[in-house]
Amino acid sequence: MHLLQLMWLRLLQHNSMLVTRLTQVLPLLMAIAIHNIKVTIMDISSQTMILPLSKWVQIKIQTTAGYENSNYNYQTNWWNNGNCGSYPPHLYPSYTSSDTNSTQSSSAVSTNSLPYQQQYNQWTYYYSQSAPVVSCAPRTENTSLTIGCSVEGGSGGYPYPSNQPPPPGTTSWRKDTGSSGLPSLQEKKDVTAYPSNGSGGVGAPTFQNHHINQMPLYFQKPTDSTPLPHENHEDQQKLLYSQSPRLPLSSTNHVPENSQSPFQAIPVSETRRVSKLQIPTNPRIASNLAVGMPKIDKESSTTNAALKPAYISVSVPKPNIKSSSQDDAEAIIKGTFPPSLRAYVERTFSRCKDDAQRSANQKMMKEVITKASADATLFTRNWDIEPLFPLPSTSLDMVEQNNLQSSVPISSLRRRNKSRWEPVAEENLVDKQPSITSDSVNVASWDHFEGTGRAAESKKYESKEGGCNGVRLFSSPQQTLLSKFAQRPVKKPRLGDFPNAIENGDGSSDSDKEQDLTKYYSSAIALANSPEEKRRREHRSRRFEKVQGNQVESKCHGPNIAGPGSIYTRRASAMILAKNLEDGCSRAVEDIDWDALTVKGTCQEIEKRYLRLTSAPDPATVRTEEVLEKALQMVQTSRKGYSYKCDQLKSIRQDLTVQRIRNVLTVKVYETHARLALEAGDLPEFNQCQSQLKRLYAEGIEGCHMEFSAYNLLCAILHSNSKRDLLSSMTRLSNEAKDDEAVKHALAVRSAVSSGNYVQFFRLYKAAPNLNTCLMDLFVEKMRFEAVKCMSKSYRPTVPVAYIARVLRFSRAVSSENCEDKGKDGLVECEEWLRAHGAILTIDNNGELQLDSKVSSSSLYIPEPEAAVAHGDASLAVDDFLTRAL
Amino acid sequence: MALHLSMGEAHRRIAEYLARFSDAVSSQDGSALKSLIFVSSNSFYLLALADALNVFQDSSRLVNQTDKYSQLGEILIPYFRCLQSIRIGRFVDAYVAFEKAANAFLQEFRNWETGWAMEAMHTVALEIRVLAERADRELASSGKNPEKLQGAGSFLMKVFGALAGKGPKRVGALYVTCQLFKIYFKLGTVHLCRSVIRSIETARIFDFEEFPTRDKVTYMYYTGRLEVFNENFLAADQKLMYALMHCNPRSKDNIRMILKYLIPVKLSIGILPKMELLEKYNLPEYMDVVNALKRGDLRLLRGALRDYEDRFLRSGVYLVLEKLELQVYQRLVKKIYIIQKQKDPSKAHQVKLEVIVKALKWLEMDMDVDEVECIMAILIYKNLIKGYFAHKSKVVVLSKQDPFPRLNGKPVNS
Repeated sequence: MHLLQLMWLRLLQHNSMLVTRLTQVLPLLMAIAIHNIKVTIMDISSQTMILPLSKWVQIKIQTTAGYENSNYNYQTNWWNNGNCGSYPPHLYPSYTSSDTNSTQSSSAVSTNSLPYQQQYNQWTYYYSQSAPVVSCAPRTENTSLTIGCSVEGGSGGYPYPSNQPPPPGTTSWRKDTGSSGLPSLQEKKDVTAYPSNGSGGVGAPTFQNHHINQMPLYFQKPTDSTPLPHENHEDQQKLLYSQSPRLPLSSTNHVPENSQSPFQAIPVSETRRVSKLQIPTNPRIASNLAVGMPKIDKESSTTNAALKPAYISVSVPKPNIKSSSQDDAEAIIKGTFPPSLRAYVERTFSRCKDDAQRSANQKMMKEVITKASADATLFTRNWDIEPLFPLPSTSLDMVEQNNLQSSVPISSLRRRNKSRWEPVAEENLVDKQPSITSDSVNVASWDHFEGTGRAAESKKYESKEGGCNGVRLFSSPQQTLLSKFAQRPVKKPRLGDFPNAIENGDGSSDSDKEQDLTKYYSSAIALANSPEEKRRREHRSRRFEKVQGNQVESKCHGPNIAGPGSIYTRRASAMILAKNLEDGCSRAVEDIDWDALTVKGTCQEIEKRYLRLTSAPDPATVRTEEVLEKALQMVQTSRKGYSYKCDQLKSIRQDLTVQRIRNVLTVKVYETHARLALEAGDLPEFNQCQSQLKRLYAEGIEGCHMEFSAYNLLCAILHSNSKRDLLSSMTRLSNEAKDDEAVKHALAVRSAVSSGNYVQFFRLYKAAPNLNTCLMDLFVEKMRFEAVKCMSKSYRPTVPVAYIARVLRFSRAVSSENCEDKGKDGLVECEEWLRAHGAILTIDNNGELQLDSKVSSSSLYIPEPEAAVAHGDASLAVDDFLTRAL
Repeated sequence: MALHLSMGEAHRRIAEYLARFSDAVSSQDGSALKSLIFVSSNSFYLLALADALNVFQDSSRLVNQTDKYSQLGEILIPYFRCLQSIRIGRFVDAYVAFEKAANAFLQEFRNWETGWAMEAMHTVALEIRVLAERADRELASSGKNPEKLQGAGSFLMKVFGALAGKGPKRVGALYVTCQLFKIYFKLGTVHLCRSVIRSIETARIFDFEEFPTRDKVTYMYYTGRLEVFNENFLAADQKLMYALMHCNPRSKDNIRMILKYLIPVKLSIGILPKMELLEKYNLPEYMDVVNALKRGDLRLLRGALRDYEDRFLRSGVYLVLEKLELQVYQRLVKKIYIIQKQKDPSKAHQVKLEVIVKALKWLEMDMDVDEVECIMAILIYKNLIKGYFAHKSKVVVLSKQDPFPRLNGKPVNS
């Protein structure tokens, strides 16, 4: 019974974790998650009930709220039994009061329309609501706090205040733990800790404490150390390597070592029983839920990922401790390493077979990185293609179980550093695995999951691992993960970081996150099952295998192996070759002979559609330089529309890039494209070209440098919020440039814009050289509006519309379309414009149209553009909103 | 010089240094340690040590021989290499070695509970920046990509991370912040300052007043400059004033640096400095600007902007000074108004546009009626002139009460 409850609580933990963590540590979470579920499943694997459980767990999450509810009941129940028998039984009702809440949220989830965020909110609400009422609740909260504190003080002795009733008056956890979203997480962790305590009759906190105690083992200064620095980190890792996997991992061992805990360790068998007990419940629930939830499969991949960290949390009170101020500092620092480097490190570790290798790897890695940082290629080097260095070979297959357990957390450990701002490139590998597993319900699918990396091992594991291995598995990742947690910077809630969201589009703004999530659900199955996706996964896993070069059984299936993968490996091996020649990893990436790795095109066709490369370029489809030159001419003389030209130019640019051609032709292509983009008003494309051109000019390649300096200046004015950009562009101008007509013009425009001199501006507008006009077009509306605003405030009583039309050059735009009298036309256009902007016009005694400045000064506004705004959501046009509010 | 050094003497010097270093660490003597790693102090002692190292090549054996020293080997061996490289003028190598030593030192520093080694840590932070700058100069002169300063920046970020905790070390964080500012300003990546500033200003572990005055002044100077960039004049004024008031009055160079930014800020909120101040702190570039503002002499202002364009652009005040034009126009109209008032008080408040155009012509500013009209409209719009413009009669009609409001410490409306 106890054990059953314990299980429940664990799941509860899952749920709560899901809810809270989701909002905080998403990128990390994904990384952790996979390892965790492995752990979970391993735990029970000897009973061959893996899938039901995992299934169950997944489902569990989906229906979070509903189950949560029951969990809580169990929990309170349990609580009473175990520690606080004195609590009155009306705990129950209090928890039930939250039922409504939870059901709501559950329904919300099942309709799939609400993101987890909401759930989270509901839960917080639930907590705050129930806390004052229920005698039990505050207690939980308080204890959680105290636990946190005990850890904080952690380097010395380890008191376990969790067992003592907390001071009744302690403030709610929300306040204490400050700004981060973590508190609720913390609380839940503790909740779980308690039950397990009871279950062992002794041990729950032991479990936890045990880990707390270990902290100092691995971290010299758990509280003080700020996690980012790489070396430090590595050291810790080293320690872990040397110790954790080797240690008899059950908690029993550690407790006597370092704890003053009143408890003894959980007997191994205890834990085992727990896992046994879980099993019967699983299928039941699984079937239950499967019926009710049409979107199970969709969500499962997510939930899979999301739920796993729950395990970690049991053992890790540490992260909660961090003060928000520290977080700040960490947040600053954590971006220190490029994500690609981290991925690289993971790769190196993923091929380690035993501790010896790992520590060897560790050492070499350290060397490589220090080397790289020493010669400052750390950020410049392309770690994604950096070949792995050779490792001493290993003979220990039997260690693979360990490997299985520990290498995984290791990589997650590595991943910790990843800041949420960084792209998730390499993480995909991990992201996608669960999505495979999740939608299949049979054992084979698990194999499939493993198949992407370690199918063989998992089987081995199953057969070899006997009695107490479950415990080993259970504890060892915890240790590792613990350390990770200890270092993991606390993240702010960020729903969009959920794996789904990442897959759907990285830079989605906050407002997009909801959409992203829902979108993901609907597409997740399709995505996970699509052959394309499978191939991508295989491709990625193959990369590991090839590079490892050792006996991981490749379980790859499907016919698509040949294509991109082989190209990749070919190039990778070319590089390894190059590396080996150079005596290991000592040479910097700049020294690699890139020419040997560069594609030489053979294609003779002039026209080619642009397609973004998803694999290594195929020389047969890449055009030679001569052909590209013709292609450029073709585009220049073509009479087709911009979209066609843009497409062609992009493909030319691509072919130039993959062949690493950087010469006059390249400059010409970019210049042509930039000009066309300007004419067509395609700013994003223009900016791309412009930034490339800047680099090309800097390399000393001839071109229309001045013309583009002028554009650059005008762009800098356009983005007027950054005065510094403007300043630096101006500082960079050479004297020669300042004499250039176009640059002079641009500078004059700048001055006119900054002083608001509309007369000057529109004169310059009329006399603009090159395509300066096109860029100036972007200010025209703003300048006109400012001008009219200015006039209506300073002129009294009226301003003739004819004057406005003349000064603000209204005649110009129309004259190109209409061949009528320019002045008149301008007048009409000006009148329309003024009326559209809320100006009040009157006719004076001479029949001349006048702007009534006094009335107009308060009625002017910028009308919303008739065309939809670019981002498709008119409500986001804050500027307009503000202007009108004024 | 190095040739004259005997092997024995070299050995003795190195051994002595090792002893002093290890003593400083074990007795937790921060200032002694500082002097031992203060490379750019060019102390005779360190120079002699460098010579000795160049004679006695196998210094790492010496370090590893003794247990006491080998613990510090991670620091000492690269540090020795750094000294050697500096002595022979190879700064890139020196930087690489120093960074290694610095990382090892930081590692140790983290483990020291108290902040006794703060001075030394600061010296490391200073040295790494200085060395990186020299290394970059060397790299640039050999046509390579100067990137060491950036590397120093990321190292200092690590140091900042090590200091930004609850412990006693936190008071040292501002110094590192200032070093970071110096790097970021030099690299032109000032946007990176924001994150550091945020943690200094919002983190609860930091109490700004708790930091040493020296660091506070530097910090205020840099953040003030950032505010100048953002044309946030009131904040810039406040920060730079803080820096000025707390700056050591004897360090004239520092005061001058602060004034370089404070003067434009003050000018744009309508406060003019005395000429003595400009003379005392050798800021001739502002003299014409101030005179232009006093006289309403547009030509003078434009001339000053042209003459000192490079300087103003580099320091980043160009755009600020350029904006003073409006104040100059205001002054000019005011002068015209005063003259008119002397002639005919009853009609003084009507300033004809042609008069202004004529005045500008005298200043050799060739502007036509439209443009001047536009400027008058802007002056009224920005509340530098009270009144209105009558288009029909082309006359600026001034308010009878306070037609030229003073800025009184407020920036021009924009």
